[in-house]
Amino acid sequence: MEQFEPTIVAFCCHYCAYTAADMAGSMRLVYPPNVKIIRVPCSGKVDTLHIMKALEKGADGVLVAGCLEGDCHFKTGNVKALQRVTYLQGYLEEIGIEAERVQMVTMSAGMGGRFARITTEFTEKIRELGPNPVNAGGSRLAAS
Amino acid sequence: MPNQNNTVLVIGSGVGGMKAAMDLSEAGRDVVLIDQAASIGGLMTRLDRTFPTNNCDLCTIAPNLSENARDKHIEVLPLTQVSALQGQAGDFTATLTRAPRYIDMEKCTACGECHKAFPECVRFEPGLDHRAPTCMRYPQATPQAFSIDMEKCEDTAALVNACPAGAINPDDGERTEERQVGAVVLAIGAELFDPSGLENFGYGVYPDVVTGLEYERIMSASGPTGGELVRPSNGKPPQRVAWIQCVGSRGINREDVSYCSGVCCMYALKEAIVTKERFQDDIEATIFYMDMRTYGKDYELYYDRAKKTYGVRLERCRPHSIISDAASGQLTISYATDASSALTTEKFDMVVLSTGFRVTENACQLARVLGIELNEHNFARTQSFSPVATSRPGVYVCGVFESPKDIPETMMQASAAACLASKNLVPVAAGNGEAELPPERDVSGEEPRIGVFVCDCEQNIGGAVDVDALAAYAGKLPGVVLSQSAGHGCSREALEKIKAAIVEQNLNRVVIGGCSPRTHENLFQNTLREAGLNKYLVEMANIRDQDTWVHMNYPEMAMTKAKDLIRMAVAGVAQAQALKDNTLPMNKDVLVLGGGVSGMNAALELADQGHRVYLAEQAGHLGGMALAVRKTLEGDDVPSYMADLIEKVSQHALIEVITQAIVVDHFGMPGMYKTGFQIGPRMYYRQIEHGATVLATGATHNVPRAYSLGEHAAVTTQIELDSVIEDQPERVKDWGQLVMIQCVGSRVPENPNCSRICCQSAIKNALRALDLNPDMRVFILYRDMRTYGFSEDYYAEARRRGVIFVRYETDTPPEVTPDGDKVKIAFADPIIGRKLAVTADCLALSTGMAVNEEATEDLATIFHLNRSLDGSFLEEHIKLRPTDLSIPGFFVAGSAHAPKNIKECIAQAQAAASRVLSMLSKDTINLGATVARVDPEKCATCLVCVRACPYGVPFINEDRYSEIDPAKCHGCGTCAAECPAKAIELTRFEDAPIMARLEGLLERSA
Repeated sequence: MEQFEPTIVAFCCHYCAYTAADMAGSMRLVYPPNVKIIRVPCSGKVDTLHIMKALEKGADGVLVAGCLEGDCHFKTGNVKALQRVTYLQGYLEEIGIEAERVQMVTMSAGMGGRFARITTEFTEKIRELGPNPVNAGGSRLAAS
Repeated sequence: MPNQNNTVLVIGSGVGGMKAAMDLSEAGRDVVLIDQAASIGGLMTRLDRTFPTNNCDLCTIAPNLSENARDKHIEVLPLTQVSALQGQAGDFTATLTRAPRYIDMEKCTACGECHKAFPECVRFEPGLDHRAPTCMRYPQATPQAFSIDMEKCEDTAALVNACPAGAINPDDGERTEERQVGAVVLAIGAELFDPSGLENFGYGVYPDVVTGLEYERIMSASGPTGGELVRPSNGKPPQRVAWIQCVGSRGINREDVSYCSGVCCMYALKEAIVTKERFQDDIEATIFYMDMRTYGKDYELYYDRAKKTYGVRLERCRPHSIISDAASGQLTISYATDASSALTTEKFDMVVLSTGFRVTENACQLARVLGIELNEHNFARTQSFSPVATSRPGVYVCGVFESPKDIPETMMQASAAACLASKNLVPVAAGNGEAELPPERDVSGEEPRIGVFVCDCEQNIGGAVDVDALAAYAGKLPGVVLSQSAGHGCSREALEKIKAAIVEQNLNRVVIGGCSPRTHENLFQNTLREAGLNKYLVEMANIRDQDTWVHMNYPEMAMTKAKDLIRMAVAGVAQAQALKDNTLPMNKDVLVLGGGVSGMNAALELADQGHRVYLAEQAGHLGGMALAVRKTLEGDDVPSYMADLIEKVSQHALIEVITQAIVVDHFGMPGMYKTGFQIGPRMYYRQIEHGATVLATGATHNVPRAYSLGEHAAVTTQIELDSVIEDQPERVKDWGQLVMIQCVGSRVPENPNCSRICCQSAIKNALRALDLNPDMRVFILYRDMRTYGFSEDYYAEARRRGVIFVRYETDTPPEVTPDGDKVKIAFADPIIGRKLAVTADCLALSTGMAVNEEATEDLATIFHLNRSLDGSFLEEHIKLRPTDLSIPGFFVAGSAHAPKNIKECIAQAQAAASRVLSMLSKDTINLGATVARVDPEKCATCLVCVRACPYGVPFINEDRYSEIDPAKCHGCGTCAAECPAKAIELTRFEDAPIMARLEGLLERSA
């Protein structure tokens, strides 16, 4: 049986996490290709609806990546994002989706290594969890 | 051909040079920014984090670097030096000599292949790694290209072949050119002292003895160990780290300089805190210091945090030596403290030497070329009332080359230098030289006609994925009418092709499959605009930095991911809307609040450069706090300077002075403000319209109730003593003993910050009193002497002349009791360990400054400005924007920001003028397009957005729905995410394109 390849969406804030991802690239660090980044101005912009939409459409995991605590370019956006993710995790459990599928992480723009490490670990974790239950019913096909 | 006299030559591209260049370019001036190094950024790019916020430096400075490189008014010339400067202010001819880079910048893609061929030589790690042929100092180096040291290259042919772009040119040679410039700004900084000459510390012998900067590099994510703190000797994490302060500074020994470098106390605290933050109890941090000099804004609180929150151990002494213990590999520091005169020894795993600034011989040579005077320490000579002007008119200096200083002060001086430099240039032409652009085509209602352009970026993308196949795949996606590979998409040639394709194929959306939007979005936005499309109709799929670079050895994975990324971008851009940057007409008049030294200087500079200034002062006359000061530490006459300044301001045709003016209301937006005053004894109301506001409202003389101040005639403040020395010298001549107590009402729980100026005031008054009465005994009771920079020389002089300095602790403060017309001061002497008493004819208290609580509170409320913990106005960014306030169009100068001496106030006043000049050079103010918009139909007036906004922008308007002022919105989108009714959208990042990207990514093909 082929290894399960999860699809992971990473909402990355422009000022830190997205820059860290670029840094990881410029340092030629390898991380799993399963992670696809959507750039947002601030992690505080990531709506619970965006995360739920990603899960509904079949994403197996969602990362919300912002600046380090206290370093948010917009002061407290990352704090709001963390609150939202924490709230959502409780809600996911209620509807039978593992809370671990959604995670808030923080990093500074210079932390390319941290970005690569976090995405690698998260991908592994999701791989262990298996496919998003939303997908479990239908047959899963790889994106062309 | 631009007007040559609109150009300023900025020498040195560290943060100071960059700031000056950016201020000038924002004000419509042309800048030639040169640096002898291969990339711009200077010293700050080598730091791990900056105090006092412990932010990552790279994140703070990187936006400045790319901003600098792409600014159309700034020409960056790395590897360049000035070899001659002829002419005079307003009309200089500068001869520039450019060293060969051996790399053709037009061809270089910064791919790093040459680095791969020479893997040991990419990073710059001073002292920890040797420098070899190719060198890119830090990951975000701008210009993004490598440079080669041909002399160190042994196999030139192999190096040339290593470059896939064919950019390496071994025959490159030195070039010389002449430039006409109106003024010169010197921002060359200084080097850090090399302690290898000090045998007692074993630097260079013991690998675990490093300098502060090397420790930064070890802690830095871009450093030699990737941010892992390990001992250079054995690669293991240290358990005990010590810092030794003042290495090579504040000394009289061989290799020492006498001045204080001003920044080392803070950087040692920072390094210790960051170390403790990362390793907590696993590591012990100890700082050996003489005086802890945390005199900057909020720095005292940082010092307290280091001690109380992080448990950094502070040991007051000057260690004698470091000896390595061969058996354990540990380092033994021996030292003597106040408590015991015997030498104590202690073992550490790593020792950090806090080394300070040194002017290089190179800098002295440059000073000779430019014909400017240096002071006795070889720093550029400036004057007390003219902080950034060198001895040669038209040549200005900022940053460390003026005197040792930290980043915020460098930034102030840089803006000040920009302000003065621009006075030598022709007035800025209206319109600011905007290029003519074709009209924007209205694409609303059209079906998407998307053009996809996929870059190969040589091997960077093309090496991992088949670009043509990727383009063919993209061509089949919905809405795509044209898809092709674009080679180097960012090259001039490719951009012209993209422009032509937009017009020929009538495209209305564009996707670039290439590198990061962080670095190149601006370029492609401008390309779209030049082709007649709205600049927000382009989207970049980051298939290089976030795909091919990461998966270069797994082409299949890279291809699948590239397809995903392109599909997401196509889906997203289909939803993109044409957006207008929000603009407002600019009112060019300026309101300056506060008629002290800072306010008057800001007003004069602005009026001299053609702006109408309203200078409003609460008191009945101009002058402020400086009216009470008679002499500076350097001996300059303050009253005659003040009289001259007041005269100039009062007589200036463009300055209207309004005294007895109290601000009562305020409306408007940046560039078009209205502020209401009640004026004069009759309190009549007057409204002033202005584009920008400078707050120079000062502070107050602190008058704490302590030590019988105000109760006994012999007890005075330093300010009063200053006048007594000047006006009643015969009284001073009769004194037998003079005692001073430092930190009265400062560095205490009620007022935790250091007042910064008191140590220099005390030294100044002690020396002048001794001039009058050399036989008098002078005692200064202090906690830490904070005579930073060159004022250390006066401290040394005071010691030489017999002033007795006795330290006291806060738990055993001096005790003062009246003794007839004298006072008796009892205090503990920590050296002899006994209590002493002195009967003094005069007790001068160093009471410093306090925030004018009433005034700042009122003004902060009326203007919606933030305040620091101590109540002073809070700057926009403590490091990089110390003069800008959180609301656009508001600037702060002088002691309203933090305590400062007169010279420092003038520098910040000129800086505030520069920031205003930059802002007001435009006819409109551009607020960007990313703002939150409320749909009144959906708004339920639930107040969630009001609470969520980090800036307090949304409010409930008269029509009972939330309103967000686009002029105040910072564009983070937190409100949009929080709004339960989905009534708020953040333009450019609306729900629709985000959802579309998710659909694009997660769509399943059968």
